[in-house]
Amino acid sequence: MSRRPGGELASRPLHFIWIADSSGSMEQDGKIQALNTAIREAIPHMRKVAEDNPNAQVLVRAVKFSNGAQWHITQPTPVADFAWADLAAEGETDMGKALELVAEQLKMPPMSERALPPVLVLVSDGQPTDDFESGLKALMEQPWGKKAVRIAISIGRDADPEVLQRFIGNTELKPLAANSPEALVRHIKWASTAVLKSASSPAAGADKPAGVDAPTTPVPIPTAAPAPGGGAQAAAAATGGSQTPVDDEAANNQQTIDDVW
Amino acid sequence: MNEKQSPPEWRVMGETVPGASHLRAGVPNQDAILQVRESGRGLPVVVSVSDGHGSDKCFRSDRGSRFAVKRAAQLVGEFLDESRGLADLAELEGRAKEYLPREFVRRWREAVEADLKARPFTEEELETVGKKDGPRAVKLLATNPLLAYGATSLTVAVAESFALYLQLGDGDILNVSDTGEVAKALPEDERLFANETTSLCTPDAEKNFRVRLQQFSDGPPALILLSTDGYVNSFSDSAGFLKVGSDLLEMLRADGFDPINASLKGWLEEATRSGSGDDCTLGLICRMDALSKADAEPGAEAFKTEEKPVASTEEPTAPTATAEAPPPVLQTADASTQSAGQSQTPRPGEQSA
Repeated sequence: MSRRPGGELASRPLHFIWIADSSGSMEQDGKIQALNTAIREAIPHMRKVAEDNPNAQVLVRAVKFSNGAQWHITQPTPVADFAWADLAAEGETDMGKALELVAEQLKMPPMSERALPPVLVLVSDGQPTDDFESGLKALMEQPWGKKAVRIAISIGRDADPEVLQRFIGNTELKPLAANSPEALVRHIKWASTAVLKSASSPAAGADKPAGVDAPTTPVPIPTAAPAPGGGAQAAAAATGGSQTPVDDEAANNQQTIDDVW
Repeated sequence: MNEKQSPPEWRVMGETVPGASHLRAGVPNQDAILQVRESGRGLPVVVSVSDGHGSDKCFRSDRGSRFAVKRAAQLVGEFLDESRGLADLAELEGRAKEYLPREFVRRWREAVEADLKARPFTEEELETVGKKDGPRAVKLLATNPLLAYGATSLTVAVAESFALYLQLGDGDILNVSDTGEVAKALPEDERLFANETTSLCTPDAEKNFRVRLQQFSDGPPALILLSTDGYVNSFSDSAGFLKVGSDLLEMLRADGFDPINASLKGWLEEATRSGSGDDCTLGLICRMDALSKADAEPGAEAFKTEEKPVASTEEPTAPTATAEAPPPVLQTADASTQSAGQSQTPRPGEQSA
């Protein structure tokens, strides 16, 4: 029988959203260029991860925040078609506005109930200059905001780890500290491969008894590697494994001789 | 003439297939389905489906789902048998709400506890959970071992003048009217979101059931569908899933029971491959007089699925093996849990016309 009952079949959407700081301070010491490079280099690895699970449709977009917040890449774009447009840096650090923008898009609709929990990756080098609290509240008021896998990467020593930890909302998972371009590349790659792999895995789409499991989606907790900045860690990070080694600065937020930011 | 009109004939079909992503990962089918009738072609017809949770810590949920379909179908059959002759359907619904969740959870837990006693968790199982889900998951299992067997349950019983619906957790039960209108048989449960579901394995399971008795005063539905969420989530939107109901009615009228029955497995395989990747299960209860094109020879072909059901067994095996298993028999091995009405409990679907 050629005909089958029902409407269109479709894999489950997995929304991956970069929330990127493009404030003026990101211009210093080449931070914005390093972020642009890191995300661009991560895209092929994201595609590979997405190919491994055809039952999850990975859709990527980006928000930028400085004086206010705007969608940098507006459309949820299949990762196969996703291309990064370079960010330019200027202005303040209106992180709260960025979270409000994301919250708006996590409402149902446009989100559907059948989606997989979205992945939100917040990258910032500074303190919020607007009302972060109301942005976070707006995000957490949305069911998908609460259920999202939330990752944060701090660039340099001026970022506010407390704010980023509150965004993450999971004490087992700390903000990843990137004090060098190499560390930023590793962390971006980890978020876009290991986390994406976990979020799009059958386990992420699997039913769990309510009120028993936490967090919603198992996020691979970064493990500390013995020494920072070495080629071995970078090579390991490139594997996109579920437990990507991260240097000491990520695990302990300690400065190292490789720190440049 | 004042002849009593004979009740409509109902037939059932059903199928379950392993999820495409489960096949890639080497994970067994964790869904189960069981179809039973009390005797011959009489009523009630009972169909139960269950979705074992795919969470890493629910590593025996394929067994949990099979315990669930067997216990649910058996219990509902017994309940209706014992309530035979009760004319007040509102009272029957009240009794069902009060008794069935509590007793079903008790029986499911008893089955799981017996299984745990016979097969305690192995070190390998716990190590695997620890690796995949962390030490917290192992602690949770030590506190509540039922978690390993966690599963949902959806059961429908069709009697002469009513249908009884019993659901815990996600998945959907649909009614399709003679005119092809599709409606959910039970109210939505807002707790079912982002893959989180109420479950047989939680301490408060009996409080989380949705139970409804639908009287056929306005006429019985033409079709009743039961589906696990793997099939529901395979459609791009809920309208696409609801369309399954109206399409099936149309196709049954055009092609008859057998061709649809034979196509069911392929449709579910296509759905998991192009859709959710999760295990997919669909049970279908058909009121035969609602199909304008009557099945010409209802005898021989009518119960193909019941000859090869994907059924609950006490020793769950790989889904393919289960699919080839003999018809389900509601065993008496656990007779101590059965009521005095046991002698009239549902039997498997009829084996001969």
